[in-house]
Amino acid sequence: MRPLAVFVMLAAARPGAAATTLLVEVRDDKGAAVPNAVVYAVPRARRPPPPSRRAVLDQKNRMFVPHILPIQTGTAVTFPNSDNVRHQVYSFSPAKRFQLPLYAGTPQGPVVFDKPGVVTLGCNIHDQMSAYIVVVDTPYFALTAGGPAELPGLPEGTYDVRVWYEGMRNEPLPQPVSLGAHEQQSLTFRIGKK
Amino acid sequence: MRRGSFQARLLTLMVCALVLLVAATLTAVHVAGNRNLRHTLTDELGVGARVLNRILAARGRQLTDAARVGAADFAFREAIASADRPTITSALTNLGARVDGDAVFLLSLDGSVDADTLGGQFVGRPFFVPSLVAGSQAGAAIVTFDHRPFQLVVVPVLAPQPIAWVCIGFKIDEAVLEDVRRLTALELSLWAADPAAPPLLISTLPQEKRLALGERTADKVAIAETVRLGSDTYQTMLQPIETGDGSAINVLLQRSLEEARGPLRRLELQIFALSSVALLLAIVAAIFFARGVTSPLRRLAEAAQRIGSGDYSALVGVPHDDEIGQLAAAFNRMGTEISAREEQIRHQGSHDSLTGLPNRRLFLDHLATWIASAKRRGTLVGMVMMDLDRFKEINDTLGHSLGDDLLVEMGRRLRQTIRESDTVARLGGDEFAVMFESAAAANAVEIAQRLGRALEAPFTLGGVSIDVKASMGIALYPLHAEDAGTLMKRADIAMYQAKRNHNAYALYESGRDEHSLRRLAIISELRQAVASEALELHFQPKIDIATERAIHAEALVRWRHPVHGMLPPDEFIPLAEQAGDIGIITKWVLKRAIEDCAGWNRAGFDLGVAVNLSALDIYDAGLPALIGALLHDQGLQPSKLVLEITESAVMRDAAYALRILRDVKGRGITLAIDDFGTGYSSLAHLKRLPVDELKIDKSFVVNLSEETLDDGVIVRSTIDLGHNMGLKVVAEGLESSEGFGILKRFGCDMAQGYFISHPIPSPQLLDWMDKSPWGARPGASLST
Repeated sequence: MRPLAVFVMLAAARPGAAATTLLVEVRDDKGAAVPNAVVYAVPRARRPPPPSRRAVLDQKNRMFVPHILPIQTGTAVTFPNSDNVRHQVYSFSPAKRFQLPLYAGTPQGPVVFDKPGVVTLGCNIHDQMSAYIVVVDTPYFALTAGGPAELPGLPEGTYDVRVWYEGMRNEPLPQPVSLGAHEQQSLTFRIGKK
Repeated sequence: MRRGSFQARLLTLMVCALVLLVAATLTAVHVAGNRNLRHTLTDELGVGARVLNRILAARGRQLTDAARVGAADFAFREAIASADRPTITSALTNLGARVDGDAVFLLSLDGSVDADTLGGQFVGRPFFVPSLVAGSQAGAAIVTFDHRPFQLVVVPVLAPQPIAWVCIGFKIDEAVLEDVRRLTALELSLWAADPAAPPLLISTLPQEKRLALGERTADKVAIAETVRLGSDTYQTMLQPIETGDGSAINVLLQRSLEEARGPLRRLELQIFALSSVALLLAIVAAIFFARGVTSPLRRLAEAAQRIGSGDYSALVGVPHDDEIGQLAAAFNRMGTEISAREEQIRHQGSHDSLTGLPNRRLFLDHLATWIASAKRRGTLVGMVMMDLDRFKEINDTLGHSLGDDLLVEMGRRLRQTIRESDTVARLGGDEFAVMFESAAAANAVEIAQRLGRALEAPFTLGGVSIDVKASMGIALYPLHAEDAGTLMKRADIAMYQAKRNHNAYALYESGRDEHSLRRLAIISELRQAVASEALELHFQPKIDIATERAIHAEALVRWRHPVHGMLPPDEFIPLAEQAGDIGIITKWVLKRAIEDCAGWNRAGFDLGVAVNLSALDIYDAGLPALIGALLHDQGLQPSKLVLEITESAVMRDAAYALRILRDVKGRGITLAIDDFGTGYSSLAHLKRLPVDELKIDKSFVVNLSEETLDDGVIVRSTIDLGHNMGLKVVAEGLESSEGFGILKRFGCDMAQGYFISHPIPSPQLLDWMDKSPWGARPGASLST
């Protein structure tokens, strides 16, 4: 939480800009809240600031943790191995092809995801292990849990709000939203059957 | 073994029963087996179809697993992810080679073909079995591809989420069907019913049959349940196979009926073989059993035949204590008893029951045997035949019982007289015969004399002493006859000769037989002679000694025989008596004599007529009436008729004869006793006879002279006897004047003989009466 706090503090300290919080809700066709959906807002006018931090995708108990990891384009992700068996992490996804040959502990260096897109990760030893790294061109993203995801600290401006969830066939249309100063807005995605 | 024998019938029965049983069993097995076979085959074919489906499903799973492993290869997935088509195609080819697939496709997740190993001809086109890629799971299906059945498997390529599908196609070939065939022993044929092209037939059948089946599938001829292919007939079942693309794939399951019937046929053969063995065993058993029954029976049959042919010596072995054993024992008892009874019968048949001596038949047998042996050895066989003189009289006088005793005693004496080796037999009645070996005729005569002496001693019967005399005839082999029958006949002839000559015995003389034959011929001609008037009457006058005038003429019958000339009555009357023809002759003589006598009297001669009656005649109850009628017819006085009878003739049945004689006498007819002095004479008997005259036998009169006093004494005492009994006495056989003188002196009443006249025919008699000094001319007697 500490880096996040730092980040929030930084955002709040930015001069000349008032920050707003956007609440995004994802519901399925039955109206139930869909968890683990990635929601993110892409500003139309300005380029978003470059990523300022690193991300970690751990491997514990022959599982990737977290299962879904949203990151901003250009983020370097480290793949520590917390298990006592070795893993071979790979991706054949067009957004990022790579493989980390069998290793234990922390690999030599992080992998930088420099293209937006969904990268599907697997372990060549353990077929049941899978994880998704959702690389987006914005620092404003969040994962839904039991309720709406909260995108705090959005500067004034117009955004395209998008969503991605596991098993998604066709991406729901982005929802444009204009945010004023100190304004809190919410919106909802209705998705079809998973 | 004869047809119809017990053994044959038993065998036939058993064999028939067994053959029927076997035939029924075989038929039942065959019918049931065939019916069962149909069901079994239908079941087998159904099982085969299920096995095929299972094997295809298993193969599908196995191929899917292989494909899954192949598609999970990291390098393969890497190649697929490379998006470089040549790389992808080569990776697919490599995968196909690894899993032995025939075609490999890479499909995008949306179901279109991204790459293939068939030169890329399907790229960009939708996959032809969309159902296989509709879900997210691996799958398998049977489809028609390239006109032939294929098995397709589809697996996802995971990275690790599905990024594509890999589809591998495997041809369904003979190897798959062979697997099923190994498991089920069925033939399988598989083909895709492609309307566009002639079907490619995949089959386990041999080439030639496959071609035959191919013709049918090509012509789309419906395939029957039973199909003949080449040399084999198959039971079939046509099954469609479930396909993933809706195409029609048929599998034809076939079972060779020949092959399927194999076990049934083996079973039938086994039953047949077992039955044949059982049949053989049964035949052997039947033969043994039948032999056990029939061989004792056959022995019994043989024994019965032996008994039938008169052999009682061999008894039947009694094998068991069963019914056959009892039968055999009964057979043996029967044989013994029959033997004893036959011996008794034979003895009865060959022996005389009274004396126990051999009878005529046995005597003849022995005689024949002796002659046969004498013929070999060159010796003589002699025989004596004898009978008792006047046995009948003895029998009548003393009774049959004592007569029998006499015969028994006589047989005993004869038996004692001859040697043990000789034979004495009773031929019948009082007739006996003796047979002996003889050195010469003289020897035979000696034996006859010995026999005669044996009978000389008086027989004492019932306290009465009786003398008997036998007449014997002797004949010898080979002097008199060559065989037994002739020898006996000749001994018989000799015996009659002896009897005739009043000798004790006579030896057969050659030529006698011809005489005997002549007698036989005469008997047969006699009746004819009576009918044809070949008989004629001669009359011998009988004079009254006191008046010296003829008073009667004795009628004597003569036979003018066409060959033998004139025959005297001695020659044929005894024969007529024996043949029972004497009555005819007597009646003829009576009729003629009465007629002639009536004629004489009508002519003025006072002359009676005398007629001899045979012994048999006086037992003819009709005779007195007949005589009465004849006299009446001719108007002759009964007193003119004299009937002469012998004493012995009356003796046979005195009571009966007496009645007849009294009847005759009552009619006024004169009765005379003829041949007086030759037979048995019983004065008491004589006294009761109603006779008027006594005729002294000529044997006493013929030689009557002053020198021969013996005969004279007899004649004189006889005359005295007759007179004392109130009878007139007649002397027969007067041949001399000397005799006439003696008779006259003795007081004899009448005389007859050659001295007076020979017998002469009736006309000459009248002439004699006219001319002879004895003649009684009409009226002359009155004038004297």
